[in-house]
Amino acid sequence: MSINGGYFMKVLHVDLSDCKTHIEEVDEEFALKYIGGRGWGARLVWEHLKEDTDPLSPENIIVIAPGPLSGLYLPSAGKTSICSISPTTGIYGDSNIGGMFGVELRQAGFDAMVINGKAPELSYLWIDDDDIQLKSAEKYAGMGSIETEHQLREDIGDETVKVASIGPAGEKMVKMACITADWGRNAGRTGMGAILGSKNLKAIAIRGTRDLPVADLKRLTGISDKAYKKLSRHNLFEFWQRQGLMSVIDYANTAGILPTHNFKDTHFEDAGKINGDVMELEYKIGDTACFGCPMACGNVNLVKDGKYAGTVIEGPEYETAAMFGSNVGISDFSAILRANYLCDEYGIDTITAGSLISVMIEAYEKDLVTLEDLDGMALNWGDDESVMEMIRKIAFREGVGDTLAEGAYGVIERWPQLAPIISHVKGLDQSAYDARVAITMALGYATSDIGAHHARAWPVAKELEMGCNWDLKEKADLVIYHQTVRPLFDMLGVCRLPWIELGFDENTYAEFFSAAVGIEFTLEELLKLSNDVYNLTRAINIRLGLTRDDDRPPDRVFNDPIKTGPHAGKVLNRDEFREILDIYYQRRGWDMDGIPTDETLKASDLEDAIEYMEPKRKAE
Amino acid sequence: MRKKLTVIPERCSGCRVCELVCAISHAGVNNPKKANIRVISLYPHPVIKMPIVCEQCKKPKCRDACPTDAIVVTDGVVTILEDRCISCHACVSACHIGAIFVHEDIDTPFKCDMCGGNPKCVAACPKKAILYVPEHTLGQAHRLASALQYANMQEVEYFEHGEKKKLRYAEIETGGTRGDSR
Repeated sequence: MSINGGYFMKVLHVDLSDCKTHIEEVDEEFALKYIGGRGWGARLVWEHLKEDTDPLSPENIIVIAPGPLSGLYLPSAGKTSICSISPTTGIYGDSNIGGMFGVELRQAGFDAMVINGKAPELSYLWIDDDDIQLKSAEKYAGMGSIETEHQLREDIGDETVKVASIGPAGEKMVKMACITADWGRNAGRTGMGAILGSKNLKAIAIRGTRDLPVADLKRLTGISDKAYKKLSRHNLFEFWQRQGLMSVIDYANTAGILPTHNFKDTHFEDAGKINGDVMELEYKIGDTACFGCPMACGNVNLVKDGKYAGTVIEGPEYETAAMFGSNVGISDFSAILRANYLCDEYGIDTITAGSLISVMIEAYEKDLVTLEDLDGMALNWGDDESVMEMIRKIAFREGVGDTLAEGAYGVIERWPQLAPIISHVKGLDQSAYDARVAITMALGYATSDIGAHHARAWPVAKELEMGCNWDLKEKADLVIYHQTVRPLFDMLGVCRLPWIELGFDENTYAEFFSAAVGIEFTLEELLKLSNDVYNLTRAINIRLGLTRDDDRPPDRVFNDPIKTGPHAGKVLNRDEFREILDIYYQRRGWDMDGIPTDETLKASDLEDAIEYMEPKRKAE
Repeated sequence: MRKKLTVIPERCSGCRVCELVCAISHAGVNNPKKANIRVISLYPHPVIKMPIVCEQCKKPKCRDACPTDAIVVTDGVVTILEDRCISCHACVSACHIGAIFVHEDIDTPFKCDMCGGNPKCVAACPKKAILYVPEHTLGQAHRLASALQYANMQEVEYFEHGEKKKLRYAEIETGGTRGDSR
């Protein structure tokens, strides 16, 4: 049994401190045990991990890892994971990015790259197949992400070069800074852009020309021809191309999970003004797709009149529209586009930015902060101009923005009275789905390995569909299933949307992978490996001091009943949550403090984690 | 009846599936940089995505530029004869749309052969942005596009740093594609 494709078996290591690179040949055991993407990233982070490393110090590594399927002929294979220790949460963090960037890294002949150290001056990395250079980026200092990408392509003299970059927020190590590529595709969460900023790395430009290795190209082509055909025949396929994730606004509002006024409400009266139809009919000027993706969920939108006229941007998708729409009380779609543009150009995460700005609006509304705290600028629901100003202040760390730039923990440190109204887990602000209506969603947020993000588990739709009164054990299992299958996509380097949105059979991914590497894998085997990685990221987090107390949904989920909409009155019960968390730990093979047991670690081939877990266990 | 390839850039999402299927069927490898078709994506001003593929000119400039008579037109397909080609790339520069490609692994330039009458890119394009149409209807897609563009071309004025600027854009079709491709 040996690998015949899928991998170059090469990891590019870049040490920025002494401008050195070396290429590591990985072995088959590593490749297949961790698959790629997030799996490889988590393992590399683990191997490099020291308990006392500051995430924004040169010693922290950042891993950029497409997967073994990235760039191959199969639906939506354009995903790349970026993994590190997050400056936002202080624990393991990753965020994935679509577009073309990761595929280009693969075409340069690398399965992943690891960046270490800190460049002596602001620099960018130019990877031209195996010719790798660190170049001065002084010229691009302070430049927005979109502009940087444009300028770099122009300066290199090749419009097909792929660029990932940070904006001014990343340079200033704003803890919600993202990494942007391909005009508006973002690795948005967990502050990965701040890490590049701390390393003085403004951008990475790549041009690759190599064949991507595939063990059995004929087999892969056969499966993929059918897969593309099947997707294109789905009755929602064209609708998906037209509206993409923007269609979720209507769903979330009807279902009563649309974050409104800082997650106080779950139903927005003006949802019809910020939904997919409004976008499609009034703003959309084109489609964008990630590499090899038939669904083309990206929407290019243009504001044609009014004060934001001329704003053109790829986006928003659902999260951005919700966080800068209903959640801050904005019902003008052009203002959402402007906020999206500013966040992309400055390089900050729209979810965290939207969440913390809405927190400040509520804080001001309730007199929890003073006008002076807000530098004299009043904040009110739906006041778009002050929202734009707040985005700018966060990105440039001005006044109150400097506090928000530190993320949820920074805001709570300065204003402890705001803790009950910030919806975060482990310092990462919650995604745009309310959790009060579904305990599975609360459990998913609470036990996500990166904080309150929906990428790991999105069980809310299923729980709403099934009705809420079913067995807690089944609910815990649903969350674990989500946390196992969804990260698998990030390990393979593909997008999960064909599976979620168009019902594409997840077993096919085992076939894609088998054809690519030339070794037979079943979906069950791959899911086992994904589960092993979940135990690994848990072990990383336990080593970094995470305890059961951190596996806790936002306070609002227990304290503030929903006021309006289909779930008015609904709130979660703390005892019930404690009970489901116990069950969850048990089903995962973790002890009641949330630490994986020795047996669990052995079953996941993580014997080397056992010694680190022992000191963390409470004395019997 | 002879058919030709034509593209509708307004529909293209830039996904590059056309490049993949072309490279796999012609070069036998998963490498979009070896495809006989390429998608050019530009943004943000202007936003355009456009598949570039040989138009199979009847009086091809690439043929005229070739110093070794390595380019011939056979049954309406402009073909590079590898045994005559010296790989000087004169054809690459001569093509007015840049539809002849080179790659360091491949000895001679390469271009679209319309897959012997069953173009894979047309079948694979998820946005129906590449059409394979009878030659006598060629231009129909462009005529349609022109009409749509004329009807829908809009102009927006905005201010940047106090300076008045204009941006032109075409309204896309809404309610699904209604082209002549299906």
